[in-house]
Amino acid sequence: MRIEVKGLTHVYSEGMPFETVALEDVNFVLEPGSFTGLIGHTGSGKSTLIQHLNGLLRPMEGAVIVDGVNIADKSDAARALRRKIGLVFQYPEHQLFEETVLKDVCFGPKNLGCTQDECEERALHALSLVGLDGKAFQDRSPFGLSGGEKRRVAIAGVLAMEPDVLILDEPTAGLDPAGHRSILDMVRQIKRERDLSILLVTHNMDDVARLADHVLVMQSGRLVMEGTPLEIFSEDAKLQTLGLSLPQATRLMNMLAERGCDVRTDILTLQEAEEEIVRAFI
Amino acid sequence: MAIKDITLGQYFPGESIVHRLDPRTKILGTFVFLVTLFLVNRFAGFALSAAFIAGVIALSGVPVKFMIRGLRPILFLIVFSTILNLFVTAGTPIVQFGPLTITEEGVYRAAFMALRLMLLIFGSSLLTLVTKPITLTDGIERLMSPLNIVKLPSHELAMMMTIALRFIPTLLDETDKIMKAQTARGADFESGNLFRRAKGLIPLLVPLFVSAFRIAGDLAMAMEARCYRGGKGRTRMNGMAFSGRDAGALCVLVAYFAATIYLRTMGG
Amino acid sequence: MKEKVKAQYMVQAAVIGSLYAAITLLLAPLSYGVMQVRVSEALVVLSMFTPAAIPGLGAGCFFANLLGPGGFIDAAIGSIATVIGAIGTYRLRNAFYAAPMATVASNAVIVGWMLYYFYAVPLPLVSCMLWVGLGELIACYGLGIPLARFLQSRRGDIGL
Repeated sequence: MRIEVKGLTHVYSEGMPFETVALEDVNFVLEPGSFTGLIGHTGSGKSTLIQHLNGLLRPMEGAVIVDGVNIADKSDAARALRRKIGLVFQYPEHQLFEETVLKDVCFGPKNLGCTQDECEERALHALSLVGLDGKAFQDRSPFGLSGGEKRRVAIAGVLAMEPDVLILDEPTAGLDPAGHRSILDMVRQIKRERDLSILLVTHNMDDVARLADHVLVMQSGRLVMEGTPLEIFSEDAKLQTLGLSLPQATRLMNMLAERGCDVRTDILTLQEAEEEIVRAFI
Repeated sequence: MAIKDITLGQYFPGESIVHRLDPRTKILGTFVFLVTLFLVNRFAGFALSAAFIAGVIALSGVPVKFMIRGLRPILFLIVFSTILNLFVTAGTPIVQFGPLTITEEGVYRAAFMALRLMLLIFGSSLLTLVTKPITLTDGIERLMSPLNIVKLPSHELAMMMTIALRFIPTLLDETDKIMKAQTARGADFESGNLFRRAKGLIPLLVPLFVSAFRIAGDLAMAMEARCYRGGKGRTRMNGMAFSGRDAGALCVLVAYFAATIYLRTMGG
Repeated sequence: MKEKVKAQYMVQAAVIGSLYAAITLLLAPLSYGVMQVRVSEALVVLSMFTPAAIPGLGAGCFFANLLGPGGFIDAAIGSIATVIGAIGTYRLRNAFYAAPMATVASNAVIVGWMLYYFYAVPLPLVSCMLWVGLGELIACYGLGIPLARFLQSRRGDIGL
């Protein structure tokens, strides 16, 4: 599934004294099978942008075109495409409401019109994708689970709708480092198994460096930078003016280079840094 | 409809002398004004009331169109009431449209009621226009504190009201988020008959209630962690004090009230 | 320990009030005016589950009315009606289906009188009361009782 965003503009409270331009003329493409990182400060328009991508919000100007179809159309084709774009909000566990885990995960497929059997099959699949044993969890109350388990159940709820694209808004919010790692590993695994494209909204540059092949940087409603992680993170000065930092490994290599060491700075991960340091000094 | 667009309250910001009055004065003033409206027994009395409220409005700097806007919700009531009073009141007829008669008394009564209602709305909406809800709550607490003697926990009550007020936008936000998350899962909050819509609210209500009580639990714990012990011995950061302004306002109020009583008793 | 219970009770009350006000505001035009069916009144059944709902609903109603077109009078009198009704509903909580009648009666009488006297609704007093009573009946029994049944089954999950 190819998502093309053209000239997307969105204004809140138009015409009123508190009018805010949330998005201004945003243009980019999400290719099938890509892993895109979306970074930017709070208020940069990230939340507004992702809500346009699955049709929750309608653009004032511009369009979101999925596989050639404008998803704001009232056609059946547009609606079918919107349903193929999964959106996991921040703190997704706040959306849990059913009496059992199985029922909650089935909520999405039910709304898509699946039969009870189809729903349950999808639900159990989705639960295993997020690392939960369907049989053990299916009859438990979602409210009796641990925080991490709840979050996984919530994500399973979106996966059960079998989207082609999965958008995650800070899926690691509020988690400790182990949980953080675990959820991202899960995301990577999901991408592999289901062959999805991923859009990850995050503040964490290390995650972007490690996982993404495509990066979007937003500020004040505009898309100010776009490229591969290597391209983006080589522009230290520009990132600083945007108030954003570099991945730790890149920063380390930059610091060494500044002090006159003969090292490459096109480094993104700690592993690459380690290899380069070994090469340069040993 | 963006939930963000609901403007909370009708406070009209300003630095006028009316804005800066102690909330207790304003509450008292509104109360007295409303009482006088029901003491008035002829139009001269309303003329005085109208002059009084017009003066306060002018001093407050609130644009007249805001005041007029406050009438909009009850416009229907005013029109309906006027028509009814015109035709239903018994008395000396002035005009006749077939079976329907407009009487002299009807005109008088219609005008009287309509005027009183309008002044009522002006008076009470002015209070909320020049006083923030939180300040109002503070004022109510202070006014109620004498009732502590009869075991009414005025502090806890006011604290509860303050917290309730403070969380209204939070819960509205939470509702917005939940609605969006469920809509992204295919939930439909718009279509269907009443019964289906009610059932469709469950994915909204359960998380909302859970969130609300979770927030409550977190807050209670946080307050406890800061040694909150209720109202006993509690001090304020911003004291509330009467000033010259308030004394002046109270004098004007007393004068107005006396004049109203006078007009009432003086008439035939 | 007593302080803890006090804080918890108070905050629970506050949040119930917030819920009431938020829902009233969300369903704005319908919640206000002479012909109102205030969906949030269904929340009165919360007083069948916890006494904290009594002051909470009072506060909620106070602010909901304050921020609405009725203004101060509506806020003051409406909240008193709500509190009295909630006390009654709480007392009757074990008579499940009868409990909301306390709220219906309280609002019908008090708010009905308020409309008649203060807002000079040109109908006989009894009509005003019946009119308000009707709106309350719809809210409390049409929405409230189903809500109460639902809350009873999911009580543990919700945290009541």
